[in-house]
Amino acid sequence: MFLAEANPLNASELIFPTLECIHIAGFAILVGTIAIVDFRLLGVGMRQQTSAELARDLGPWTLFGLVLMLFSGPLMFSSDPDMYYLNRSFQIKMALLLVAIIFNYTIHRRVALKGASPPKSKLVACVSMLLWVGVIFGGIFIAFI
Amino acid sequence: MSIAESIQSIGFLTQLRESALVYPIIMTTHLSCIAIFGGLILMTDMRLLGLALRSRSVTDVVGQFRIWKRIGFCVMITMGVLLASCEAEKYTPNPYFWAKMSLLVLVGVHAAIFRKSVYNSTEEIDRAPAIPARAKLAGASSLILWLSILSMGRLIGYWEPPKVTQASPTVTATAHVPR
Repeated sequence: MFLAEANPLNASELIFPTLECIHIAGFAILVGTIAIVDFRLLGVGMRQQTSAELARDLGPWTLFGLVLMLFSGPLMFSSDPDMYYLNRSFQIKMALLLVAIIFNYTIHRRVALKGASPPKSKLVACVSMLLWVGVIFGGIFIAFI
Repeated sequence: MSIAESIQSIGFLTQLRESALVYPIIMTTHLSCIAIFGGLILMTDMRLLGLALRSRSVTDVVGQFRIWKRIGFCVMITMGVLLASCEAEKYTPNPYFWAKMSLLVLVGVHAAIFRKSVYNSTEEIDRAPAIPARAKLAGASSLILWLSILSMGRLIGYWEPPKVTQASPTVTATAHVPR
């Protein structure tokens, strides 16, 4: 039932690369908008706005990027579930992704909206960046291990 | 020896190609730059189109993102050059690679066309009652250019040189070819 051959996704050579392109554009929007808030929390960019203003303005776009990800990602997964499921890099990626999403909508969001003293806000920004870069690492290494 | 062959035979590029770790790390850095700084480009375009960050002025968005887009662009290009040159022989016959390079040239053309009238006159755009058509055109064309570059970049990995020998075609079950 879950055979890769039975998945209509694998009927055309173009579908998978198209999904990948959507996936990449999606994470550019998702991670890019989060990074803008992180740059502000670090005090290295967008200093004419507060992090709360930026977080509020960019929130819908972050969510849009996330929706693109959660649409294209599982479809890509379905093209060859066994390969992904057993891939160590994929497993690490999923764990990091879960932590990154939870972190983004809890601690990161609270600090961005309510503000925090510099050591804490900078730490939150660094953790956020590292988590998302970690997710990208995990994604790339799926093809290399 | 072809030019491509001699480029990729340079010592450190050979090592880079053959390394199990360095090659994917450079690729990840390339992709991380796309995520962080490519995101800035997309959001700037969206602002010019009037779709995002509308409560921030165009001057603020263009001005404050500029330095980061430049830094990101440099890192991204450096990583891209490393990725392409260490496998120069695979890249030179690849049509998607040349499509991507042509689109990057168009990014330069885009900058030459719109720098003065849009990116360096943001205060004028902010004063206008509505976003001027030229700013929207700049945003829309930049958006299309970058999304195409990103797609061509991904498709590079899918192209295979035509087989010289007539091997019996084996149809694989999955169309999915990693990298």
